Amino acid sequence: MLARRVRPAAAMALAGILLLTACTSIPADAAGTSDRVRGGELRAGVTHNPPWTDTSTAEPTGSEVALVESLARGLDARVEWVEGSEAVLADALHEGELDIAVGGFTDDTPWTEQAAVTAVYREVRNDRGVTEKHVMLTRSGENRFLVTIEDHLRENGADR
Amino acid sequence: MSRPTLADTLPERQARALARAVRIEWATIAFLAAAITAVGLTVGNSQAMRAAWIEDLLSLAPPIAFLVAVRVIAMPATRRYPYGFFRSVGVAHLVAGVALFTMGAILIVESVTALILAERPPIGSVELFGQTVWLGWIMMAVMALTIPLPIYFGRVKMKLARELHNKVLYADADMNKADWMTAVGTIVGVGGIGLGLWWMDAAAATFIAGSILWDGVKNTRAAITDLMDTTATTFDDAHHHPDADAVHDYLSSLPWVAEVRTRTRDQGQFFHVEAFVLPVRGRAPSLRKLADAQEGCRRLDWKLHDVVVVPVAEFPANAMARSTDPES
Repeated sequence: MLARRVRPAAAMALAGILLLTACTSIPADAAGTSDRVRGGELRAGVTHNPPWTDTSTAEPTGSEVALVESLARGLDARVEWVEGSEAVLADALHEGELDIAVGGFTDDTPWTEQAAVTAVYREVRNDRGVTEKHVMLTRSGENRFLVTIEDHLRENGADR
Repeated sequence: MSRPTLADTLPERQARALARAVRIEWATIAFLAAAITAVGLTVGNSQAMRAAWIEDLLSLAPPIAFLVAVRVIAMPATRRYPYGFFRSVGVAHLVAGVALFTMGAILIVESVTALILAERPPIGSVELFGQTVWLGWIMMAVMALTIPLPIYFGRVKMKLARELHNKVLYADADMNKADWMTAVGTIVGVGGIGLGLWWMDAAAATFIAGSILWDGVKNTRAAITDLMDTTATTFDDAHHHPDADAVHDYLSSLPWVAEVRTRTRDQGQFFHVEAFVLPVRGRAPSLRKLADAQEGCRRLDWKLHDVVVVPVAEFPANAMARSTDPES
């Protein structure tokens, strides 16, 4: 009788411990992006779209470029910038050649098949009175990295 | 008296079961409406989650079909519809079956494509009370909430389906089973994404789609065979129905009857039985005896709503003798 009563309790406790330890590692990346980037290299794609991104100078500048730089600092990583059109960047994300892409993308971006779209981190009204909801793109399936980016954007994305 | 209802034609026990079935179908619809809303709000990029949502939508068909059918079936026969409206149950059953089948097929194609193209579902996070929460946890929680009620609904409906001999109710009980299994599959799929196993989501979705497709095949086949006047079977189509044998036994016991053959078809809720009798020494029975025999058959079971006893000199080719094995 006692054994019967103890066993479910023990099983639940075990499940609880497993869940708690799992919480820290879930979600995981399908291809291990977070582990590779930390202390290493963040391969970032950029397309010219001021004021978010500006590639007219030798080194890219702009608010989203700054956000990627600060994300990399938090991960103890160097940023390796690659410039290209939206389509080229989206393809590179799909092929796993990039970890993140910025260029003033909004949440109605057509690249959802090729890349993962972050949560909206900032809303602005443009000249035509339309609200733009700004997002970044990352490699699909790298959910831990996606949540890391979203976390960083929630903390730092609202201000310029 | 107002419009006749199905309950008026049933014995008290079955009428109570019917009232309970109607209540539980309304409860099912209320539950599904809540579940569809909750799952719809969290559906995100998981294939399995999408499959589960579509299945929830489709699960609305059998309860609605049942509630419509119990109203339509009770309408009295007219000149235009001399056999009454019993077939409404079969039509409802067919519609539900084809809907299931189509959706299962579409979902299988989608999830197998996702597997082949190695699409990796992204699931991000939301901010909840100042905390970043992975959406996968919320999806799994919502799915877990949709498990207990369908298990309960399914069990009750299975019991009532047997009591009422109602195949739409049976199909619906099946659907509830598919529902909670889908929820379990989705939790596995989203959990897999959480562990970085991108393929587990599409694999779970394929499995779910397979079960929907199978439900569709089973229900469509059962509905078509009933509409094609296959001989009456038990509510789960597993066995020959014992009522036909009861008619054989009763008629054979009458002194003026030498031999009996029957044709029985299932009209959804009730049976339509044609009993052909070979009178003793080929002497035609009186109309009185025929009427009594017909009434006696009807009293055997409430399902034997429409029985005609026909004295014949020779049996029609495919009329059936009493089954030898009561379970076959």
